[in-house]
Amino acid sequence: MLTNKIANELLLPQVLTAALELLINKALLLNVNKGLSLQKVSAKTLTLELAELAFPLSFTVSSQARVIVSSLTERSDCTISTSVSTLKKLKANQQVTQLIKQGELDVIGDVKIAQQFAEISQSLEIDWQSELAKHIGDVPTHKIVQFGNKITKNFGKHSTELQADVGEYIVHEKRLVATNGQVKHFNQQVADVSNKVDKINSRINTLFTRLSNKK
Amino acid sequence: MSSSDQNSQVNDSSVGQQAPVEVSDNSTTHFGYKTIEKDDKISMVAGVFHSVAKQYDVMNDLMSFGIHRLWKRFTIDASGVRPGNKVLDLAGGTGDLTAKFSQLVGRDGKVVLADINSSMLNVGRDKLRDKGLVQNIEYVQANAEYLPFEENTFDIVTIAFGLRNVTDKDKALRSIYSVLKPGGRLLVLEFSKPEHELLNKAYDFYSFNILPKMGELVAKDGDSYQYLAESIRMHPDQETLKGMMENAGFEQTTFKNLTGGVVALHKGYKF
Repeated sequence: MLTNKIANELLLPQVLTAALELLINKALLLNVNKGLSLQKVSAKTLTLELAELAFPLSFTVSSQARVIVSSLTERSDCTISTSVSTLKKLKANQQVTQLIKQGELDVIGDVKIAQQFAEISQSLEIDWQSELAKHIGDVPTHKIVQFGNKITKNFGKHSTELQADVGEYIVHEKRLVATNGQVKHFNQQVADVSNKVDKINSRINTLFTRLSNKK
Repeated sequence: MSSSDQNSQVNDSSVGQQAPVEVSDNSTTHFGYKTIEKDDKISMVAGVFHSVAKQYDVMNDLMSFGIHRLWKRFTIDASGVRPGNKVLDLAGGTGDLTAKFSQLVGRDGKVVLADINSSMLNVGRDKLRDKGLVQNIEYVQANAEYLPFEENTFDIVTIAFGLRNVTDKDKALRSIYSVLKPGGRLLVLEFSKPEHELLNKAYDFYSFNILPKMGELVAKDGDSYQYLAESIRMHPDQETLKGMMENAGFEQTTFKNLTGGVVALHKGYKF
Protein backbone atom coordinates (compact mmCIF):
# COMPACT_ATOMS: atom_id res chain seq x y z
CA MET A 1 0.00 0.00 0.00
CA LEU A 2 2.79 2.37 1.01
CA THR A 3 4.75 1.37 -2.08
CA ASN A 4 1.75 2.21 -4.27
CA LYS A 5 1.46 5.62 -2.65
CA ILE A 6 5.13 6.38 -3.18
CA ALA A 7 4.94 5.13 -6.78
CA ASN A 8 1.98 7.41 -7.44
CA GLU A 9 3.62 10.38 -5.70
CA LEU A 10 6.67 9.98 -7.93
CA LEU A 11 4.41 9.51 -10.97
CA LEU A 12 6.13 6.18 -11.64
CA PRO A 13 3.25 4.80 -13.76
CA GLN A 14 3.59 7.81 -16.03
CA VAL A 15 7.40 7.55 -16.13
CA LEU A 16 7.17 3.87 -17.10
CA THR A 17 4.46 4.35 -19.74
CA ALA A 18 6.34 7.29 -21.26
CA ALA A 19 9.58 5.27 -21.43
CA LEU A 20 7.83 2.24 -22.93
CA GLU A 21 6.04 4.38 -25.49
CA LEU A 22 9.31 5.98 -26.53
CA LEU A 23 11.10 2.61 -26.78
CA ILE A 24 8.33 0.84 -28.69
CA ASN A 25 7.86 3.61 -31.23
CA LYS A 26 11.63 3.92 -31.71
CA ALA A 27 11.81 0.15 -32.28
CA LEU A 28 8.97 0.37 -34.83
CA LEU A 29 10.82 3.16 -36.58
CA LEU A 30 14.02 1.09 -36.78
CA ASN A 31 12.23 -2.08 -37.90
CA VAL A 32 13.59 -3.50 -41.15
CA ASN A 33 10.99 -6.26 -41.58
CA LYS A 34 8.86 -4.86 -44.38
CA GLY A 35 6.20 -7.52 -43.79
CA LEU A 36 5.34 -6.09 -40.39
CA SER A 37 2.06 -4.18 -40.37
CA LEU A 38 0.11 -2.63 -37.53
CA GLN A 39 -3.03 -2.44 -39.68
CA LYS A 40 -4.60 -5.53 -38.09
CA VAL A 41 -4.48 -4.01 -34.62
CA SER A 42 -5.20 -0.41 -35.58
CA ALA A 43 -7.40 1.27 -32.94
CA LYS A 44 -7.15 -1.87 -30.74
CA THR A 45 -5.95 -1.94 -27.15
CA LEU A 46 -4.19 -4.70 -25.25
CA THR A 47 -3.99 -4.30 -21.47
CA LEU A 48 -1.45 -6.11 -19.31
CA GLU A 49 -2.12 -6.43 -15.60
CA LEU A 50 1.13 -7.66 -14.13
CA ALA A 51 1.25 -8.98 -10.56
CA GLU A 52 4.51 -7.08 -10.04
CA LEU A 53 2.96 -3.71 -10.97
CA ALA A 54 0.26 -1.84 -9.06
CA PHE A 55 -1.10 -0.30 -12.26
CA PRO A 56 -2.08 -1.70 -15.67
CA LEU A 57 -0.21 -1.12 -18.91
CA SER A 58 -2.41 -0.50 -21.94
CA PHE A 59 -1.03 -0.56 -25.47
CA THR A 60 -3.17 1.19 -28.08
CA VAL A 61 -2.28 1.33 -31.75
CA SER A 62 -3.34 4.62 -33.34
CA SER A 63 -4.34 5.10 -36.96
CA GLN A 64 -0.96 6.82 -37.44
CA ALA A 65 0.67 3.44 -36.66
CA ARG A 66 2.00 4.71 -33.35
CA VAL A 67 1.69 2.81 -30.10
CA ILE A 68 0.26 4.77 -27.17
CA VAL A 69 1.08 3.35 -23.75
CA SER A 70 -1.14 4.42 -20.86
CA SER A 71 -2.70 3.20 -17.63
CA LEU A 72 -6.20 3.48 -19.06
CA THR A 73 -8.34 0.38 -18.68
CA GLU A 74 -11.65 1.69 -19.97
CA ARG A 75 -11.03 0.87 -23.58
CA SER A 76 -9.29 -2.50 -23.58
CA ASP A 77 -10.13 -5.08 -26.26
CA CYS A 78 -8.16 -7.77 -24.45
CA THR A 79 -6.89 -7.81 -20.86
CA ILE A 80 -4.22 -10.25 -19.73
CA SER A 81 -3.63 -10.67 -16.00
CA THR A 82 -0.41 -12.49 -15.22
CA SER A 83 3.14 -12.08 -13.88
CA VAL A 84 6.46 -11.38 -15.59
CA SER A 85 7.68 -14.97 -14.98
CA THR A 86 4.53 -16.40 -16.61
CA LEU A 87 4.99 -14.09 -19.58
CA LYS A 88 8.41 -15.65 -20.08
CA LYS A 89 6.89 -19.15 -19.95
CA LEU A 90 4.24 -18.07 -22.40
CA LYS A 91 6.87 -16.92 -24.85
CA ALA A 92 8.87 -20.13 -24.48
CA ASN A 93 6.09 -22.72 -24.53
CA GLN A 94 2.92 -21.22 -25.97
CA GLN A 95 1.07 -23.17 -23.26
CA VAL A 96 -1.84 -20.75 -22.88
CA THR A 97 -4.51 -23.28 -21.89
CA GLN A 98 -2.32 -25.01 -19.31
CA LEU A 99 -1.30 -21.70 -17.73
CA ILE A 100 -4.94 -20.57 -17.54
CA LYS A 101 -5.87 -23.87 -15.84
CA GLN A 102 -3.05 -23.40 -13.35
CA GLY A 103 -4.41 -19.94 -12.52
CA GLU A 104 -1.21 -18.24 -13.66
CA LEU A 105 -2.89 -16.46 -16.55
CA ASP A 106 -6.28 -14.84 -16.99
CA VAL A 107 -7.52 -13.51 -20.31
CA ILE A 108 -10.61 -11.32 -20.70
CA GLY A 109 -11.76 -10.20 -24.13
CA ASP A 110 -10.60 -11.12 -27.60
CA VAL A 111 -7.58 -13.47 -27.37
CA LYS A 112 -6.93 -12.88 -31.07
CA ILE A 113 -5.89 -9.31 -30.27
CA ALA A 114 -3.27 -10.58 -27.83
CA GLN A 115 -1.99 -13.05 -30.43
CA GLN A 116 -1.74 -10.30 -33.04
CA PHE A 117 0.21 -8.07 -30.66
CA ALA A 118 2.52 -11.01 -29.84
CA GLU A 119 3.07 -11.72 -33.56
CA ILE A 120 4.01 -8.10 -34.16
CA SER A 121 6.50 -8.02 -31.30
CA GLN A 122 8.09 -11.27 -32.50
CA SER A 123 8.38 -10.12 -36.11
CA LEU A 124 10.20 -6.90 -35.22
CA GLU A 125 13.65 -6.93 -36.80
CA ILE A 126 16.18 -4.26 -36.01
CA ASP A 127 19.55 -4.09 -37.71
CA TRP A 128 21.49 -2.87 -34.68
CA GLN A 129 24.81 -2.96 -36.53
CA SER A 130 23.60 -0.59 -39.26
CA GLU A 131 22.07 1.72 -36.68
CA LEU A 132 25.28 1.82 -34.65
CA ALA A 133 27.36 2.30 -37.80
CA LYS A 134 25.33 5.41 -38.67
CA HIS A 135 26.57 7.00 -35.46
CA ILE A 136 30.12 5.77 -35.01
CA GLY A 137 31.15 4.43 -38.44
CA ASP A 138 31.59 0.98 -40.00
CA VAL A 139 34.98 -0.07 -38.65
CA PRO A 140 34.36 0.77 -34.96
CA THR A 141 30.96 -0.97 -35.23
CA HIS A 142 32.57 -4.10 -36.66
CA LYS A 143 35.17 -4.13 -33.88
CA ILE A 144 32.55 -3.61 -31.16
CA VAL A 145 30.34 -6.39 -32.54
CA GLN A 146 33.35 -8.76 -32.78
CA PHE A 147 34.30 -7.93 -29.21
CA GLY A 148 30.70 -8.40 -28.05
CA ASN A 149 30.44 -11.80 -29.75
CA LYS A 150 33.71 -12.91 -28.18
CA ILE A 151 32.57 -11.88 -24.72
CA THR A 152 29.18 -13.57 -25.14
CA LYS A 153 30.86 -16.78 -26.31
CA ASN A 154 33.33 -16.76 -23.42
CA PHE A 155 30.62 -15.91 -20.94
CA GLY A 156 28.46 -18.76 -22.21
CA LYS A 157 31.34 -21.23 -21.93
CA HIS A 158 32.36 -20.07 -18.44
CA SER A 159 28.76 -19.96 -17.31
CA THR A 160 28.22 -23.62 -18.29
CA GLU A 161 31.46 -24.65 -16.57
CA LEU A 162 30.58 -22.68 -13.47
CA GLN A 163 27.11 -24.21 -13.31
CA ALA A 164 28.58 -27.72 -13.54
CA ASP A 165 31.21 -26.99 -10.86
CA VAL A 166 28.74 -25.42 -8.45
CA GLY A 167 26.33 -28.34 -8.99
CA GLU A 168 29.06 -30.86 -8.29
CA TYR A 169 30.14 -29.02 -5.13
CA ILE A 170 26.64 -28.62 -3.68
CA VAL A 171 25.34 -32.09 -4.51
CA HIS A 172 28.34 -34.38 -4.11
CA GLU A 173 30.90 -32.61 -1.92
CA LYS A 174 28.76 -30.65 0.54
CA ARG A 175 25.66 -32.86 0.14
CA LEU A 176 23.44 -29.80 0.57
CA VAL A 177 21.07 -30.83 -2.19
CA ALA A 178 19.87 -34.30 -3.18
CA THR A 179 20.33 -35.65 -6.70
CA ASN A 180 17.37 -36.35 -8.98
CA GLY A 181 17.66 -40.10 -8.34
CA GLN A 182 17.72 -39.61 -4.57
CA VAL A 183 14.63 -37.41 -4.69
CA LYS A 184 12.79 -39.98 -6.83
CA HIS A 185 13.80 -42.81 -4.47
CA PHE A 186 12.64 -40.78 -1.46
CA ASN A 187 9.31 -39.99 -3.13
CA GLN A 188 8.84 -43.70 -3.90
CA GLN A 189 9.52 -44.62 -0.28
CA VAL A 190 7.00 -42.03 0.92
CA ALA A 191 4.42 -43.41 -1.50
CA ASP A 192 5.08 -47.00 -0.24
CA VAL A 193 4.66 -45.93 3.40
CA SER A 194 1.47 -44.09 2.48
CA ASN A 195 0.09 -47.25 0.82
CA LYS A 196 0.98 -49.38 3.82
CA VAL A 197 -0.71 -46.92 6.20
CA ASP A 198 -3.83 -47.00 4.02
CA LYS A 199 -3.81 -50.83 4.13
CA ILE A 200 -3.42 -50.87 7.92
CA ASN A 201 -6.18 -48.31 8.27
CA SER A 202 -8.49 -50.41 6.16
CA ARG A 203 -7.64 -53.53 8.16
CA ILE A 204 -8.30 -51.78 11.50
CA ASN A 205 -11.66 -50.59 10.19
CA THR A 206 -12.54 -54.17 9.18
CA LEU A 207 -11.55 -55.49 12.62
CA PHE A 208 -13.65 -52.83 14.35
CA THR A 209 -16.64 -53.79 12.20
CA ARG A 210 -16.22 -57.49 13.07
CA LEU A 211 -15.92 -56.71 16.82
CA SER A 212 -19.04 -54.57 16.80
CA ASN A 213 -20.96 -57.31 14.92
CA LYS A 214 -19.93 -59.92 17.53
CA LYS A 215 -21.24 -57.71 20.33
CA MET B 1 -6.74 56.39 -4.34
CA SER B 2 -8.70 53.49 -5.82
CA SER B 3 -8.19 49.89 -4.77
CA SER B 4 -6.69 49.20 -8.14
CA ASP B 5 -4.08 51.90 -7.68
CA GLN B 6 -3.24 50.71 -4.20
CA ASN B 7 -2.53 47.21 -5.45
CA SER B 8 -0.47 48.46 -8.31
CA GLN B 9 1.71 50.21 -5.75
CA VAL B 10 2.06 47.03 -3.71
CA ASN B 11 3.20 45.21 -6.79
CA ASP B 12 5.69 47.89 -7.76
CA SER B 13 7.38 47.85 -4.41
CA SER B 14 7.20 44.12 -3.74
CA VAL B 15 10.02 41.75 -4.46
CA GLY B 16 7.50 39.30 -5.77
CA GLN B 17 7.59 36.87 -2.84
CA GLN B 18 4.50 38.09 -1.01
CA ALA B 19 1.07 38.13 -2.61
CA PRO B 20 -0.84 41.36 -2.00
CA VAL B 21 -3.89 41.49 0.21
CA GLU B 22 -6.83 40.53 -1.93
CA VAL B 23 -9.06 43.46 -2.77
CA SER B 24 -11.92 42.65 -5.07
CA ASP B 25 -15.08 44.14 -6.36
CA ASN B 26 -17.22 43.12 -9.29
CA SER B 27 -15.42 45.27 -11.85
CA THR B 28 -11.83 44.27 -11.03
CA THR B 29 -9.76 41.13 -11.23
CA HIS B 30 -6.16 40.01 -10.85
CA PHE B 31 -3.40 40.07 -13.38
CA GLY B 32 -0.63 38.45 -11.38
CA TYR B 33 -0.35 40.64 -8.26
CA LYS B 34 -1.92 43.64 -9.99
CA THR B 35 -5.59 44.43 -9.64
CA ILE B 36 -6.96 45.53 -12.96
CA GLU B 37 -10.28 46.22 -14.63
CA LYS B 38 -11.94 42.96 -15.71
CA ASP B 39 -12.25 44.17 -19.29
CA ASP B 40 -8.48 44.61 -19.51
CA LYS B 41 -7.50 41.10 -18.40
CA ILE B 42 -8.21 39.29 -21.66
CA SER B 43 -5.99 41.61 -23.68
CA MET B 44 -3.23 41.58 -21.04
CA VAL B 45 -3.19 37.76 -20.83
CA ALA B 46 -3.32 37.65 -24.62
CA GLY B 47 -0.23 39.87 -24.68
CA VAL B 48 1.63 37.39 -22.49
CA PHE B 49 0.75 34.38 -24.62
CA HIS B 50 1.30 36.11 -27.99
CA SER B 51 4.76 36.87 -26.66
CA VAL B 52 5.66 33.37 -25.45
CA ALA B 53 3.74 31.16 -27.94
CA LYS B 54 6.73 30.19 -30.09
CA GLN B 55 8.95 29.28 -27.13
CA TYR B 56 6.09 27.84 -25.06
CA ASP B 57 7.01 24.15 -25.34
CA VAL B 58 10.72 24.72 -24.80
CA MET B 59 10.03 26.90 -21.79
CA ASN B 60 7.60 24.35 -20.33
CA ASP B 61 10.24 21.65 -20.57
CA LEU B 62 12.89 23.89 -19.06
CA MET B 63 10.77 25.32 -16.25
CA SER B 64 9.29 22.03 -15.11
CA PHE B 65 12.35 19.88 -15.96
CA GLY B 66 10.04 17.94 -18.30
CA ILE B 67 7.66 16.96 -15.49
CA HIS B 68 4.74 18.75 -17.16
CA ARG B 69 4.65 15.82 -19.60
CA LEU B 70 4.08 13.41 -16.70
CA TRP B 71 1.37 15.65 -15.19
CA LYS B 72 -0.39 15.64 -18.58
CA ARG B 73 -0.04 11.85 -18.85
CA PHE B 74 -1.58 11.56 -15.40
CA THR B 75 -4.50 13.67 -16.64
CA ILE B 76 -5.00 11.39 -19.65
CA ASP B 77 -4.89 8.30 -17.41
CA ALA B 78 -7.46 9.86 -15.07
CA SER B 79 -9.77 10.91 -17.91
CA GLY B 80 -11.12 7.44 -18.68
CA VAL B 81 -11.25 8.35 -22.37
CA ARG B 82 -12.76 5.77 -24.72
CA PRO B 83 -12.87 5.34 -28.49
CA GLY B 84 -15.61 7.50 -29.98
CA ASN B 85 -15.56 10.10 -27.18
CA LYS B 86 -15.86 13.83 -27.85
CA VAL B 87 -13.19 15.76 -25.97
CA LEU B 88 -12.75 19.50 -25.49
CA ASP B 89 -9.18 20.50 -24.70
CA LEU B 90 -9.81 23.98 -23.39
CA ALA B 91 -6.94 26.49 -23.23
CA GLY B 92 -5.22 23.65 -25.06
CA GLY B 93 -2.31 25.83 -26.09
CA THR B 94 0.18 23.91 -28.14
CA GLY B 95 -1.89 20.75 -28.11
CA ASP B 96 -0.06 18.27 -25.88
CA LEU B 97 -3.29 16.78 -24.51
CA THR B 98 -5.06 17.02 -27.86
CA ALA B 99 -2.32 14.95 -29.52
CA LYS B 100 -2.83 12.05 -27.12
CA PHE B 101 -6.63 12.31 -26.98
CA SER B 102 -6.81 12.37 -30.76
CA GLN B 103 -5.04 9.02 -30.96
CA LEU B 104 -7.10 7.49 -28.15
CA VAL B 105 -10.59 8.49 -29.32
CA GLY B 106 -9.88 7.13 -32.81
CA ARG B 107 -11.64 7.93 -36.07
CA ASP B 108 -15.11 7.80 -34.51
CA GLY B 109 -14.21 10.33 -31.83
CA LYS B 110 -13.46 14.02 -31.99
CA VAL B 111 -11.15 16.41 -30.16
CA VAL B 112 -11.69 20.15 -30.15
CA LEU B 113 -8.61 22.19 -29.34
CA ALA B 114 -9.85 25.53 -28.06
CA ASP B 115 -7.81 28.52 -26.95
CA ILE B 116 -8.61 32.18 -26.61
CA ASN B 117 -5.22 33.07 -28.03
CA SER B 118 -4.73 32.83 -31.79
CA SER B 119 -0.93 32.62 -31.57
CA MET B 120 -1.08 29.61 -29.27
CA LEU B 121 -3.73 28.00 -31.46
CA ASN B 122 -1.58 28.49 -34.57
CA VAL B 123 1.47 26.97 -32.92
CA GLY B 124 -0.66 24.05 -31.70
CA ARG B 125 -2.24 23.50 -35.13
CA ASP B 126 1.15 23.51 -36.89
CA LYS B 127 2.60 21.10 -34.34
CA LEU B 128 -0.27 18.62 -34.58
CA ARG B 129 -0.36 18.73 -38.38
CA ASP B 130 3.38 18.10 -38.47
CA LYS B 131 2.71 14.97 -36.40
CA GLY B 132 0.14 13.82 -38.96
CA LEU B 133 -2.77 14.34 -36.58
CA VAL B 134 -5.47 15.81 -38.80
CA GLN B 135 -8.42 13.45 -39.00
CA ASN B 136 -10.39 14.10 -35.86
CA ILE B 137 -9.20 17.45 -34.54
CA GLU B 138 -11.01 20.78 -34.79
CA TYR B 139 -9.58 24.14 -33.80
CA VAL B 140 -11.72 26.80 -32.19
CA GLN B 141 -10.71 30.20 -30.87
CA ALA B 142 -12.95 30.54 -27.84
CA ASN B 143 -13.32 32.24 -24.50
CA ALA B 144 -13.85 29.69 -21.70
CA GLU B 145 -16.52 31.93 -20.17
CA TYR B 146 -18.68 31.83 -23.31
CA LEU B 147 -18.11 28.45 -24.95
CA PRO B 148 -19.55 28.41 -28.46
CA PHE B 149 -20.91 24.86 -28.30
CA GLU B 150 -24.34 23.37 -27.79
CA GLU B 151 -25.30 22.04 -24.37
CA ASN B 152 -24.44 18.39 -23.65
CA THR B 153 -21.82 18.08 -26.40
CA PHE B 154 -18.68 16.67 -24.80
CA ASP B 155 -17.81 13.51 -22.84
CA ILE B 156 -14.66 15.06 -21.43
CA VAL B 157 -13.44 18.63 -20.97
CA THR B 158 -9.87 19.30 -19.89
CA ILE B 159 -8.26 22.61 -19.03
CA ALA B 160 -4.55 22.31 -18.33
CA PHE B 161 -2.69 25.31 -16.95
CA GLY B 162 -5.38 27.61 -18.33
CA LEU B 163 -7.99 28.26 -15.66
CA ARG B 164 -5.85 30.70 -13.69
CA ASN B 165 -5.69 32.99 -16.73
CA VAL B 166 -9.46 33.13 -17.08
CA THR B 167 -11.01 36.40 -15.89
CA ASP B 168 -14.19 34.97 -14.34
CA LYS B 169 -13.43 31.40 -13.29
CA ASP B 170 -16.92 30.75 -11.89
CA LYS B 171 -18.51 31.74 -15.18
CA ALA B 172 -16.04 29.53 -17.07
CA LEU B 173 -16.84 26.54 -14.84
CA ARG B 174 -20.59 27.05 -15.42
CA SER B 175 -19.99 27.32 -19.16
CA ILE B 176 -17.97 24.08 -19.13
CA TYR B 177 -20.69 22.35 -17.09
CA SER B 178 -23.21 23.34 -19.71
CA VAL B 179 -21.32 21.84 -22.67
CA LEU B 180 -20.61 18.54 -20.89
CA LYS B 181 -22.92 15.59 -21.51
CA PRO B 182 -24.58 14.02 -18.46
CA GLY B 183 -21.98 11.52 -17.20
CA GLY B 184 -19.23 13.68 -18.65
CA ARG B 185 -16.31 14.91 -16.61
CA LEU B 186 -14.13 17.96 -16.24
CA LEU B 187 -10.43 17.66 -15.47
CA VAL B 188 -8.61 20.78 -14.30
CA LEU B 189 -4.84 20.49 -14.24
CA GLU B 190 -3.42 23.59 -12.63
CA PHE B 191 -0.64 24.90 -10.41
CA SER B 192 -1.70 24.81 -6.79
CA LYS B 193 -0.43 25.13 -3.24
CA PRO B 194 2.46 22.84 -2.18
CA GLU B 195 1.58 20.65 0.80
CA HIS B 196 4.81 21.17 2.75
CA GLU B 197 6.15 24.50 3.96
CA LEU B 198 9.73 23.72 2.98
CA LEU B 199 8.69 22.83 -0.55
CA ASN B 200 6.56 25.98 -0.64
CA LYS B 201 9.57 28.14 0.22
CA ALA B 202 11.85 26.43 -2.31
CA TYR B 203 9.11 26.74 -4.92
CA ASP B 204 8.69 30.46 -4.14
CA PHE B 205 12.40 31.06 -4.49
CA TYR B 206 12.50 29.19 -7.78
CA SER B 207 9.40 30.93 -9.17
CA PHE B 208 10.38 34.50 -8.35
CA ASN B 209 14.14 34.39 -8.71
CA ILE B 210 15.00 31.78 -11.32
CA LEU B 211 11.93 31.47 -13.52
CA PRO B 212 11.78 35.10 -14.76
CA LYS B 213 15.52 34.99 -15.52
CA MET B 214 15.01 31.78 -17.50
CA GLY B 215 12.19 33.50 -19.38
CA GLU B 216 14.43 36.47 -20.12
CA LEU B 217 17.21 34.21 -21.35
CA VAL B 218 15.22 31.79 -23.51
CA ALA B 219 11.99 33.57 -24.51
CA LYS B 220 13.48 37.08 -24.18
CA ASP B 221 10.51 37.95 -21.99
CA GLY B 222 11.12 37.99 -18.25
CA ASP B 223 7.90 39.97 -17.52
CA SER B 224 5.64 37.22 -18.87
CA TYR B 225 7.29 34.68 -16.60
CA GLN B 226 7.06 37.05 -13.66
CA TYR B 227 3.30 37.16 -14.44
CA LEU B 228 3.27 33.34 -14.52
CA ALA B 229 4.75 33.12 -11.01
CA GLU B 230 2.37 35.75 -9.66
CA SER B 231 -0.71 34.28 -11.33
CA ILE B 232 0.08 30.89 -9.75
CA ARG B 233 0.11 32.45 -6.28
CA MET B 234 -3.19 34.23 -6.93
CA HIS B 235 -4.90 31.06 -8.15
CA PRO B 236 -7.34 29.41 -5.70
CA ASP B 237 -5.87 26.59 -3.61
CA GLN B 238 -7.04 22.97 -3.86
CA GLU B 239 -10.02 23.14 -1.51
CA THR B 240 -11.22 26.50 -2.86
CA LEU B 241 -11.20 25.31 -6.45
CA LYS B 242 -13.02 22.12 -5.42
CA GLY B 243 -15.69 24.31 -3.81
CA MET B 244 -15.94 26.45 -6.95
CA MET B 245 -16.49 23.35 -9.07
CA GLU B 246 -19.22 22.16 -6.72
CA ASN B 247 -20.87 25.58 -6.86
CA ALA B 248 -20.90 25.32 -10.64
CA GLY B 249 -22.85 22.06 -10.36
CA PHE B 250 -20.13 19.40 -10.56
CA GLU B 251 -20.58 16.27 -8.46
CA GLN B 252 -18.19 13.68 -7.01
CA THR B 253 -15.54 16.38 -7.13
CA THR B 254 -12.08 15.26 -6.07
CA PHE B 255 -8.50 16.47 -6.44
CA LYS B 256 -5.14 14.77 -6.47
CA ASN B 257 -1.96 16.61 -5.58
CA LEU B 258 0.96 15.97 -7.89
CA THR B 259 4.62 16.65 -7.06
CA GLY B 260 3.78 17.61 -3.50
CA GLY B 261 0.91 19.90 -4.48
CA VAL B 262 2.89 22.06 -6.89
CA VAL B 263 0.20 20.95 -9.31
CA ALA B 264 -3.24 19.49 -8.61
CA LEU B 265 -5.65 17.61 -10.82
CA HIS B 266 -9.29 18.35 -10.00
CA LYS B 267 -12.00 16.11 -11.39
CA GLY B 268 -15.76 16.54 -11.31
CA TYR B 269 -18.75 14.93 -13.01
CA LYS B 270 -21.97 16.25 -14.48
CA PHE B 271 -24.92 13.95 -13.80
